[in-house]
Formats: sequence, structure tokens, C-alpha cells
Amino acid sequence: MSDSDIKFYYFNLQARGELTRLIFAAAGRSYEDIRFGFDTWPEYKPKMILGQCPVLEFADGTQIPQSLTVARYVAREAGLAGSDNLESAKIDAVVDTQRDVNEVFYGKVFFEKDEAKKAEEMEKFLTETLVKHVENLGKLKKAYSTNESYFVGNKLSWADLFVFQSIQILLKAVPQVQGKFGDQFKPLFDAINGNDKIKAYLDARPETDF
Amino acid sequence: MSTYKLYYFNSRGRAEVSRLIFAAAGQKYEDIRYNQDEWPSHKTEMPLGQMPVLEFNSAKLPQSKSIARFLAKQFHLAGRDNLEQAKVDAVIDTIDDLIPKLISIFFEQDETKKEDLRKKYFDEELPKHFQNLDVLLKEFGNGGLFFVGNHLTWADLYFYDLSETLLGMNGNCLDIYPRLKQNREEVEKQPKIAEYLNNRPKTPF
Repeated sequence: MSDSDIKFYYFNLQARGELTRLIFAAAGRSYEDIRFGFDTWPEYKPKMILGQCPVLEFADGTQIPQSLTVARYVAREAGLAGSDNLESAKIDAVVDTQRDVNEVFYGKVFFEKDEAKKAEEMEKFLTETLVKHVENLGKLKKAYSTNESYFVGNKLSWADLFVFQSIQILLKAVPQVQGKFGDQFKPLFDAINGNDKIKAYLDARPETDF
Repeated sequence: MSTYKLYYFNSRGRAEVSRLIFAAAGQKYEDIRYNQDEWPSHKTEMPLGQMPVLEFNSAKLPQSKSIARFLAKQFHLAGRDNLEQAKVDAVIDTIDDLIPKLISIFFEQDETKKEDLRKKYFDEELPKHFQNLDVLLKEFGNGGLFFVGNHLTWADLYFYDLSETLLGMNGNCLDIYPRLKQNREEVEKQPKIAEYLNNRPKTPF
């Protein structure tokens, strides 16, 4: 994968694009970070393979859609997807587990318009879904990790970045979540925040709505 | 020698794609199926209290797609290089996009509403996803009948399994997508898969 021949198309939001941007950053790979608003999206939509974004585009015009597929591809190219098939699978399992919870949060809580229903779903999310999720992540870490900080093996993988990114967004949307994690993920967050390349990206990235 | 055990219920559900991968690869494995009575006593043995789970030697993997991708890579059914694997993954994710509204139909208790949801799904929702899959097959298929690279990958097996469920609900749903229909036929023709399909337990879903 040669440097700026690769283009990443997404909204000027974190949402489903930020994970790939973090992976690029952690890998120290340059790429064209194409961002658009809801108003300019209609110009890009017909050029995207399935009329959706994010999309990864290569110099020859080949496009790959689907946010987690793009993230996995970039991670693999960067050596952030495990050192063998089993490690890659463990990483995928952590990613899938985090994704399941993200979908519940966005589907049932974040985008719920009815205020009463939203409050009810939020309560359920905080007291049941999230508690179970943190337990599950803990179990996977215990089974797969050989160090203090990272989910799988003993080095950074895109699963760590996905959990980090997802929890960050959750904390921003629901500050009362802070107390739910105890110290479990502190080593991971410290490691990621302390990673020079990631830190440089986090310090420089645009402020976005979500 | 590596050992493989797959734990699931006695149904196709989220495990069948993995069983199809084992079949296509001609790989022996223990196909463990728990019925509803036995399952509760095994729940705590599973990493996240759910199935399917793959036990590979002594490692346990949850999450159906992660399991399938692992197996596909073990048996060279995941795409020949990183870019092909990404194309396969993109097809898989696009197939998955048709699931959420499908599940809503099953959860609806009211028969009239259920029928409405079913009609809306097949008339409006499903065509969007089939069109997307048709686009991907044209873009990634190198002119052949398989989704990626003119050879069988787990993307074809995943589509085969899910479309079987859809055809069971509406036998005509693939009629205006000849390429997708031919893709299914191509999968069924593979000798090891044909043999597996003939001999596997018949379950409603």
C-alpha cells in the first residue's frame, strides 16, 4: 500500500470513519483524508461503489466499502491485525463484541427521538447492557491478552483502537459512564494516549459533532 | 494435528456458514449441537455465554463471523491476498445489512403487522441489498460467477445460506437477479458442498 495513492472518503465526523483514521495514524501511513458535509455528500454519493461511505479508494480506482472491512484491511497492511490467523480471529472477536454494543447504543439510545423512550433505553443501557459488555471485554482480555494493556497478545491491535474510540464517543455522549469502568481499561487508554503517532493525530484532528 | 469443535444449537442460524466452510474444505470437525434443554448447563463454558463458539485446539473463539473468517483463512477460502480478503469481507458485511429488518419481522407478534412488515421487506428493503450485492459481484467477480476473484470464497457460502432462508419465505425473491441466482447454483454444484447439503440435518432455520 503506497502512501498518498490511497483515499479515504467519509463525512467530517468521527462516527464510522474515525477507527480507520486512527489505524492510519498508529501505522504512520499517509493517505488522503477526504471529508465532506451532509450538504456536499450528494456530489460524492454517485461516485461511491454502493452509494455509501466510508469508502477506501486505490490509485487504480478500486473501491472497498463497509467501515469495519476497510478498518481491517488497513490494520492488516499495517501489522495491527495479529501475527497469525488465530490472533487475527481473537482481534475480530473483540471488535465484533464492541460493535454489538455500539449498535445497541446507537440504535436504541442515541438516535431515539421520543424523550421518554430514550430515557428508559438509556437507563437499561447503563445498568444492564454496558455492565455486561464491560464484563465480556474483561473475559476476552483475560483469555487472549499476555500483557497489561492490550486485548490480544502483547501488542497494539485495531481491536484496542476500536474499544478506545467507542468508549471515547460513549463518554462524550454520556458523561456518567465514566464511573462504570473502574481501572480495567486505564492501562490500555494510557498506552494509546501515550503512543506518539496516535497522540499527534488526536491533538491535530478537527473538532466534530460526533 | 489440529482439532476443531463447533458448538451451536441444532439449527443452521449463525453456525451454518462455518459448517459450509468445513464441508467445502473437506475438513473433519466435531459438529456439536445442543438442544434448548441442554444449553443452559453449557452456557458458562462459552467465552461470552453465547454460541456459536469454535474450539480450535484449546483456544475458544466466539462471534459467528470471526469464527467463519478464521476457518475460511485456515482453508484458503477467504481470498488470495489482503485486497481480495477485503473484497470478500465487504460482500459479507453487505449481506449482513439485510438482516436487521428481517429480524424485526420475526419479532413482530401481531399477525397483521407481521404480514405488513414481510411485504414491505420483500418489496422495498431487500431489493436495495440485492442490488448492492449484484454491484459487488460485477465489480469484484473478475467476470465469473463467484463474488470475488472468480473462485469460491466464504462470501459465496454466506450468501448461499442466508438466501436459502429468504427463498423459504419468498420463493421468487431472486428472480430478477440472475447473477445472484447463478451464484447459488454454482455453489450447489461444488461436489463437496452438494454432498454436505444432501446429508446435513434438515432444520427449519
